Amino acid sequence: MANFSPVTGRYVTFEVDDPDLGGEYKVFFLENGRGQPLVCQHTAGCHNHQWRGVLEDPEITSSYRVIAYDLPRHGKSDPPNNREWWKEEYRLTTDFYTRFIVAFCDALELERPIFMGSSFGGNVALQLAYRYPDRFKAVIPVEAADYSPGFFLDWWQHPHANAAQVCASGVWDLMAPQSPDRDRWKTWFYYTQGSEAFRGDLYFYSVDHDLRGKLGEIDGDRCPVVMLTGDYDYLTTPQMTEATAKQIKNAEFMEMKGIGHFPMSENPPLFNTYLRRALELIQRKTAKVTGPAR
Amino acid sequence: MSSVAPTKWAEDFASATNQDAELNVHGKFFTCTYLLDMGTRKVIVEMHRGKVENVNLDPQPLDAYQFALRAPEETWRGMAKEVPEPMYHGIWAASFRKGLRMEGDLLVLMQNLRCFTRQIELLRQTGVPV
Repeated sequence: MANFSPVTGRYVTFEVDDPDLGGEYKVFFLENGRGQPLVCQHTAGCHNHQWRGVLEDPEITSSYRVIAYDLPRHGKSDPPNNREWWKEEYRLTTDFYTRFIVAFCDALELERPIFMGSSFGGNVALQLAYRYPDRFKAVIPVEAADYSPGFFLDWWQHPHANAAQVCASGVWDLMAPQSPDRDRWKTWFYYTQGSEAFRGDLYFYSVDHDLRGKLGEIDGDRCPVVMLTGDYDYLTTPQMTEATAKQIKNAEFMEMKGIGHFPMSENPPLFNTYLRRALELIQRKTAKVTGPAR
Repeated sequence: MSSVAPTKWAEDFASATNQDAELNVHGKFFTCTYLLDMGTRKVIVEMHRGKVENVNLDPQPLDAYQFALRAPEETWRGMAKEVPEPMYHGIWAASFRKGLRMEGDLLVLMQNLRCFTRQIELLRQTGVPV
């Protein structure tokens, strides 16, 4: 008998309305589980296999429908079908990124999913809470901050170097040395596959994403915000995340010990212990808003 | 493991590099010359096809290298711990948070990034000469 995973993959095609990057997108996603939708965004220049440990955690998937998509130009999601994208320099914008995520959730007819993303996915989680607070039940920004400069670099796509290795080894020490070799090297391997998108993703991460001075406008009661950051993350340190969370009304922050910037991928079992606590927190917070379930 | 005598360090670093399983498999094109500036101690390492060809423990003013890593002694010692504390756990982490500077022809560094990253992690076994 074949040793099948319960995770399944599908494609969905839909339109994203955006003047700079809009078009028709054929998007690949993995899913497993039943219940409250939990939509997961991978990190910049990577793909949805980073969420393998959440997708296959029976304790989580017994209550949550975990959906991990590949952002267009990543993994198995194509660049736009109806744009001459090869004539454009790819620079991910906050406008497109947030519109894409909402359009994806609409395409799957998800009602108020919880959104979770890491790194540039964590930063966009903050943007979703800021721009679309009523569209999401809650957000879990992982390894995120209001501003994360310094990583929009030409080295990621430099034709005189092996861009696959530069991207993969360039992010190597975003991971904690204690994380298992097997999972760190899987993450390294994923990163060899995304060099054509990594730099453009980081335009969002380090340039276009800037919520400094705007965090007070995010209402953590309307859209609960639970932030998680690993202590080995040098790009968005726990201190940066904590400072961000403090400026958001009723946001929560948890420091994750012994883990880095790709927590769900570099050490899935450890990350899931923190994720379970985050999901319980959200359950309590949202139960309070809608009235206690008795 | 942290601070060791320079000559012993040079021997250990060369030996750890030359016997490393990863570098032996992936080091075919790892040929470059770089400077490690550890404050009171500077060394120039010459790499040829993944092996240490020479460790220069007394660089003179005109001794050439292609790129340099410069950091305070405390940063190097932190990077040389068996399990480094956060922000000492790699050259990128230390460059963002612990005063490490990458200088010189960084293209050469990027071209050799996979092997160089591995080689610098060997400091966790050998310690540093400061």
